[in-house]
Amino acid sequence: MSQREGSLEDFQADSSISPLPLLEAKIHQTHSLARLLTKYAEQLFQEYVQLQGDPFGRPGFSPPRPPVAGLSAPGAGHAGLPLPERLRLDAGALAALPPLLDAVRRLQAELNPRTALLRRLEEAARRARALGAALEAVLAALGAEPREPRPEPAAAAAAAAAAAAAAAGAFPAKLLGLRVCGLYRDWVSRTEADLGQLVPGGPA
Amino acid sequence: MPAGRPGPAAQSARRPPPLLPLLLLCVLGAPRGGSGAHTAVISPQDPTLLIGSSLQATCSVRGDPQGPTAEGLYWTLNGRRLPPELSRILNASTLALALANLNGSRQQSGDNLVCHAQDGSILAGSCLYVGLPPEKPFNISCWSKNMKDLTCRWTPGAHGETFLHTNYSLKYKLRWYGQDNTCEEYHTVGPHSCHIPKDLALFTPYEIWVEATNRLGSARSDVLTLDILDVVTTDPPPDVHVSRVGGLEDQLSVRWVSPPALKDFLFQAKYQIRYRVEDSVDWKVVDDVSNQTSCRLAGLKPGTVYFVQVRCNPFGIYGSKKAGIWSEWSHPTAASTPRSERPGPGGGACEPRGGEPSSGPVRRELKQFLGWLKKHAYCSNLSFRLYDQWRAWMQKSHKTRNQHRTRGSCPRADAARREVLPDKL
Repeated sequence: MSQREGSLEDFQADSSISPLPLLEAKIHQTHSLARLLTKYAEQLFQEYVQLQGDPFGRPGFSPPRPPVAGLSAPGAGHAGLPLPERLRLDAGALAALPPLLDAVRRLQAELNPRTALLRRLEEAARRARALGAALEAVLAALGAEPREPRPEPAAAAAAAAAAAAAAAGAFPAKLLGLRVCGLYRDWVSRTEADLGQLVPGGPA
Repeated sequence: MPAGRPGPAAQSARRPPPLLPLLLLCVLGAPRGGSGAHTAVISPQDPTLLIGSSLQATCSVRGDPQGPTAEGLYWTLNGRRLPPELSRILNASTLALALANLNGSRQQSGDNLVCHAQDGSILAGSCLYVGLPPEKPFNISCWSKNMKDLTCRWTPGAHGETFLHTNYSLKYKLRWYGQDNTCEEYHTVGPHSCHIPKDLALFTPYEIWVEATNRLGSARSDVLTLDILDVVTTDPPPDVHVSRVGGLEDQLSVRWVSPPALKDFLFQAKYQIRYRVEDSVDWKVVDDVSNQTSCRLAGLKPGTVYFVQVRCNPFGIYGSKKAGIWSEWSHPTAASTPRSERPGPGGGACEPRGGEPSSGPVRRELKQFLGWLKKHAYCSNLSFRLYDQWRAWMQKSHKTRNQHRTRGSCPRADAARREVLPDKL
């Protein structure tokens, strides 16, 4: 099996695909965006745990990590999937994250009002949308099959989760936010790694 | 003893949460090591407490009978395991906790009280809000920029340390009629400030106060009554220019423009000038500048760069009797005094002569000149232009002259309008 499986050449069979230099530029830009957002996502996570107080953020803190509103962390087998499939999963996760980040922001508006965290969560939702859109454009240019559309009421499901967390108490609300910020960090980082394999000269 | 009225949330216990949706059941009781899903409930949920008070809490395990029992449970508070002697088993599924003399919360999102299973997994959590009710805010001060808006700031009572998120709300109303209004733009000039941008009435007093509220209660400041016209400030004077006065090495001329925003309003402007040497942090202030837009600084060091700023106080707007509020200082403007032609000590051209006694102000020197003029001139009119020419002549003739080292003074315009014939020295 070729070590370049999932590389740029594999997508070039279709003559209707965008000219190579433009496509490479687009991939570079999207990869650079993902790399930048990975740093921001880590900063968001650190800021979040600091405001929730100990034990959030402590090295040994290990609360339960179940799926949240149908979005789970990148699986152990993700790296072994074909690259187009990985990128589709990345795009799907990036589309699911904004409503969850908005829901966390609403919860944090009660727990940590008038803090910079609220603005960071809002920015994170916008950035996830932007990276998701850029990734979808790359996938379309590569001729990959579009990802399966997510269930319609994704935003409503996230809002319901937030409302339930608020009703259950401050601690469950903090846990929900921790989970969502962690997922955001994991998926942005995963996207950067997967796009890195498309970048000419990047790791195979 | 904390001031303010006690709030509704003090010592309250929230009722246990309803059946949780799948999401939260999973969040609080994920399967671990093959065991079934277990969860627990802490009571009270998210209580609010006064500093120094006590708390009795319980953790009741739910789930299948083969799950954890009270015997293996333990508590942590903000990540630190609590001593076992603070806990006691109430029954097979319930562990109680007694905390006394609570300190203020470490973070405004609440202290994290967590119930753990024996293996360390989290079964339930509750956030404690321990603090004080707010004290009365005080020291409200307000100012209006060009009569268009109003900005107020205040000091929170007890320096604001309540350990709880405390909301401050600035309220205002017209004194004799009108409804209460709430300011909406906060933190404009610091953490305890608010800005009202428009729709303000003149010639009628406002009542202004601040309300502070947190989970433990609320407090209200005293009411400040003011008329917008009594607290007017304006922009710094624009177009500040600093220039040399011919060849005079110890003087600079400062000119500025009256603030344009108030040009249509009747007021008496006061101005202040401050200046400093380039590499100094000490400003000298000239504050006897009233209602004129130029000034001459004297007694300066030759060959030295000076930074100059001007500010304005628009007092007496529409007949207001109040003192008015100084504007911000204008942006610094720099200029340098001419360099002396005489070599100074050590060969430097700009060194002030050391060892000379400091002289009196320029006014004293002018008096000397006028005295001399009375004796020798046959006309009593004087002009500053000729006076400057005389001074320049004095420097060139190397006559000993005391340098002015004290405050600069600003000769008033009316003292400089007398004509004089040039002297024949």
